Amino acid sequence: MLEWLKSVVSDAGIISAVKVTFIMAVSSTAISSVLGILFGLLLERFSFPGKKIIVRINRTLMGVPPVVAGLVVYLLIMRRGPLGPLSLLFTIKGMVIAQVLIITPIISGMIYSYARKSAPSIRAFAVTMGATRWQTAKLIIRELRKEIYFCMVTGFGRSISEVGAVMLVGGNIKGRTRTMTTTISLLKSQGIFTEGVALGILLLVMAFILQWICDLLQKEGEEDENY
Amino acid sequence: MRITNLEKTIGKFHMEVNDFYIEPGKIHGIVGPNGCGKTVFLKMLAGIITPDKGILDYEGLSSRDITMMSQQPYLMHTSVYENLIYPLKIRGTRPDEDEIDEMLNRVGLREQKNQYARSLSSGERQKLSFLRAVIFKPKLIMVDETLSNLDSESEEMFVGIISEIQKERPITWLIVNHQMDHIYQLCDEIHYMEKGRFVKK
Repeated sequence: MLEWLKSVVSDAGIISAVKVTFIMAVSSTAISSVLGILFGLLLERFSFPGKKIIVRINRTLMGVPPVVAGLVVYLLIMRRGPLGPLSLLFTIKGMVIAQVLIITPIISGMIYSYARKSAPSIRAFAVTMGATRWQTAKLIIRELRKEIYFCMVTGFGRSISEVGAVMLVGGNIKGRTRTMTTTISLLKSQGIFTEGVALGILLLVMAFILQWICDLLQKEGEEDENY
Repeated sequence: MRITNLEKTIGKFHMEVNDFYIEPGKIHGIVGPNGCGKTVFLKMLAGIITPDKGILDYEGLSSRDITMMSQQPYLMHTSVYENLIYPLKIRGTRPDEDEIDEMLNRVGLREQKNQYARSLSSGERQKLSFLRAVIFKPKLIMVDETLSNLDSESEEMFVGIISEIQKERPITWLIVNHQMDHIYQLCDEIHYMEKGRFVKK
């Protein structure tokens, strides 16, 4: 079993797929985190007309089918599209753009909910301590760090498991834009199940590690913990 | 500090304080039934709630000189020690470790110094919140029911600490409670509140 797994993972195509998946997931999670965390926190902080609608749109986008996001990005970056001259189609950059579109609303929506729950009391506390605005902002981020990590891990999980958008925008080109999930999809259509299963196991292991990290973060700071 | 023509409406609740003077260096008690607006009043003075109308003259006090202890104190997701020194940290003041240990010892929190603050019992949380409010030597301290619901031993301890502070360097205290208790033996003045107004009694 181990030998078989080893032979599968040492395949050049598979190694490249794992690499592409990671580069894509790390970049899209990083960009989405910066955008999503900032947007979520600002949305909580400020009241303005139309805020409710923006929150609703955000919630809707949290559930947008990846294929739809992929299609939108495809239309934007295809050769005749408005961003065509940038030649982003069938590149990892293009895939990252599509994923940022999918993941940012998830992160900002989650951050907004968490912040709405705890930021007002943190802010009131900061006022009573005489904190400046900047110190208050820093305190809110520090107090929400666990939730922020959690959102980032969720975003990363979304990214590595996504098929539809990366397939559309990336084109599933071997050695360049083929990810683990699109490889599985292709292998299945070719009737090659063993390698597909091996890749599936690899993805499951990654999902397990993510879950484990989440768990550790949830546990951090429980009752009997000593600092 | 002087409060003139203060007004605030929250839903059905309406508060009106026409002229209220808080004499500096004194301990003021505010008593009144639940829901009469004591907390709202303190929160307005602390700057947590903005009044609809009125003038709050702090007579030279800045927001850095004022603090308020809430009924349910906010404790940061960190240790007791880090919580305690937070007001010093944001002021760029180096904490005096001996003084901190002595303070913690006095209220019986020395053992819990490095423990996660949120694992404290509610009484211990009140003690920590109290220390955190006095540690940076503010000039006005508002206490929102923090000192109620304490056992008589702790209550006596707080009365002792407050009297010591007053002897050393008198500051202004505004202490709110829904019932008369030991804390009031300390008060120089007691104000009564009913349905969003101060009344004479």
